[in-house]
Order: sequence, then C-alpha cells, then structure tokens
Amino acid sequence: MRHVEHVMGTVVSIELPDDSAGPELIASTCAWLHEVDARFSTYRDDSEVCRFRRGEIALDDCSADLRHVLDRCADLWRETDGYFDAYAGGQLDPSGYVKGWSVEVASQRLHDAGSGRHYLNAGGDIRMRGAGPSGGPWRVGVRHPWEADKLSWVLALTDGAVATSGTYERGAHIINPRTGKPATGLRSVTVTGPDLALADAYATAALAMGEAGLAWLAKKAAEGYESAAVTDDGRAFTSPGLPVA
Amino acid sequence: MRRSTAAAVGTLTGAALILGVRLSVQPPDAPVATAPVSQEAPADGDGGGEQEAAAEPEATASKKPAKKKESDDSSSAEKPAEEEKKEEEAGLKAGTYKGKAVQNEYGTVQVTIKVSGGKISAADATYPTSGFSGTINPNAVKKLSEATLAAQSAQVDAVSGATATSGSYVDSLQAALDKAGA
Repeated sequence: MRHVEHVMGTVVSIELPDDSAGPELIASTCAWLHEVDARFSTYRDDSEVCRFRRGEIALDDCSADLRHVLDRCADLWRETDGYFDAYAGGQLDPSGYVKGWSVEVASQRLHDAGSGRHYLNAGGDIRMRGAGPSGGPWRVGVRHPWEADKLSWVLALTDGAVATSGTYERGAHIINPRTGKPATGLRSVTVTGPDLALADAYATAALAMGEAGLAWLAKKAAEGYESAAVTDDGRAFTSPGLPVA
Repeated sequence: MRRSTAAAVGTLTGAALILGVRLSVQPPDAPVATAPVSQEAPADGDGGGEQEAAAEPEATASKKPAKKKESDDSSSAEKPAEEEKKEEEAGLKAGTYKGKAVQNEYGTVQVTIKVSGGKISAADATYPTSGFSGTINPNAVKKLSEATLAAQSAQVDAVSGATATSGSYVDSLQAALDKAGA
C-alpha cells in the first residue's frame, strides 16, 4: 500500500508492498516524522532547535536526538572540509541532516517492526529495503535536472539510499559556506549508499563545492557511496559503481 | 661500528618514514586549518581529481611541513614534531639518507634527510610535481567519468530529485507514481 504524508515542509511517500500490517506501520512512521518536525523545525518557534538556538535550553538539556544530530553535523562538517555546514546560513539549521536521518530511522523502525520490504521517499530522498514490487530491486529514477517529466538515470537498489540535491527545485538555496554565496557549478548531485542521512549530506556538500565536488564524490565510492552529477552546463558524470538499472 | 651504523640508518629510515607519513597525512588537514574562509577554490584540498588539484596540496605541504596547526583536531595522532625528533637523533653519522618511497593517493613520496653535526640538518621530500607524472599511480586518483545526460521515460518505482516543496510535489513524477500506487 502507498501512503502520502505532508510533513517537514515536503511530501513523504511510503510504500509497503506487503499490506498485512500496513496501516499501523504507516501510522507509527508518520507519528515519528511529525515528532521530528516538531522537534527540529526551524519554522516553529517552539521547536527544540529554535529554543536551543535562542539559548533557552542548554546542550546538556537537549534531547538525545538533538544532541545526536548536532554531533553528526559536526562530524560531517569535518568530513566535508566544512562544505556541509549546519551554520551556513548564519545560525543553526540542521535540516540538511535531519530529513535524511529521520527517514533512515523510520526505515530502521519499519524493519524492526517486521517490514523487510518498503521504501520511504521524503521529497526526493529515498530509503528502501528488500525487494521491490516486481520481486527484483527497486527501480529508482533520477529526475532530469531540466526536464521535470524525464529521468536522467534509472537505478536499481534493494537495500540502500538514493539522495539528490539540486538547484533546480528551490532555486540556489544551497550556500557555499566558504563564500556565503549560493553554490554554483553543479545543478544536480545524486548519491547512493547504505545510509540516507550520509548520502543526503554528501550530495548537499558536493553541490556546495561546485565542480570540485566531482573529485570529492569520487573518493566516497570507497566507502560505498556512488554518485551521479550534472553540471550547470549540462555535462553528466557518474562513478563507476553507480547501480544503474 | 658497522652494527651501530646500521642501527642509526635504521632509526633514520624510521624517522624518515614517520616524516613521510606525516607529510602525506598533513595535506588533507592543511586546507581546513589554513584556507581563508573566503577562499572558494580549491574546494577539496586533499581531493585531487582534477590534475592541478592533485599536485597543489603537496606544494602547500612541502612549504610548511613543520607547521602544525593547532586548530585542526583531526588526525593529530601523527603529530610528533620534527623538532623533537631532531634533538633525539643527536649523535648520528653525517650523510644523506633516503627514506623508503611511500605510496599515497597522490603518488610516491620519498623523504631525504641530511645529517651533519650529529643532527638532522635538513629534511626534504620528493613529491609528484605536475599532473599525472610517472610517479603517480593513475589508479589511485579516482574520478567520476563523463557520461551522456539522458532524458528518458521509464517504468520506475520511485523518483529521486532535489527536495520538492509541497507545492512542486503536485506536478512531480513521484506524485504521479503515488496516484497510480495509492
């Protein structure tokens, strides 16, 4: 069964090919995503992130989830030479990590609750497990960066994540933390790998780097993260291990 | 006498290796610590997918091998300062010693040290100088390969794309899939 939930400022599609426990699993997944939204949204003044940002709560008093997210953002900042920066916009905004992480957690919880086959697609960032509807791998299209109704790649995955960052959807919203200006050079970056939170963060960091991100992405293949990227002038690049269908 | 010479050379080789390792480890860190905030390129100091980029970090590192930036907190395990080493090695036989060639992702790095007056008087390292010279193992520098940008329509289960807003989702391929699958 398929469920579509509007949450975290985007749309989350949940697909469970095995219907038996579907409704309960979907309800608990949505409850988790709304809980994350309430805690991490930078658009809600009463969210934990906003209260922490205003200094109303100390780090030690923050939830384990928030502390975990802050730790991982710090790790990613180091790992990406500062290009993944939860403070790129001036004040703390961990949204770039939270979405992927929360879906990664949701998928893990579904798995623990007995769902070995599912996918969650949070506004274009996907975590899937098990076999797809046909019994083979899930087929994941990567949106063409100029033609919204076309695909530039079709990928095949069973267990894993596909995350795409691009400038075509929300405009130049990714800031290059080194310049403080919108990132240029790459129009779309897709990263596949075992963990959606990391795949998403890597795609965002590479986009912020611009064309130099292509070289950076190439090194991530050794850690199981493959990539496909399109430059502003329409050149396409893929890593050798990209799971093309 | 012979044995002590061999021991000294062995120690020196060890020291050279330590230097070699340190030098090869430092380039990834240096840009983080030293790059001015406003600097846009190179985005990836240790990266080296681009030909020039592969050589640049080395040049940077060779200019200031002894400077260890305190602000960088990663991989400081390799930190033992050369200065201390130099003093510890007092009483060494004068001469020039080459360390073992060490492979890293940029190519082969070989450290040479000069000993005079019982101390290491100079330490130098050879680096791959320009682009993909013979010293660089081409397989070590991974790159994304250029491909043709396709525009295809195909049967898929899900669509990955830049984060859609609730508004733009409505017109997306994923929305069409969701309608079909609901």
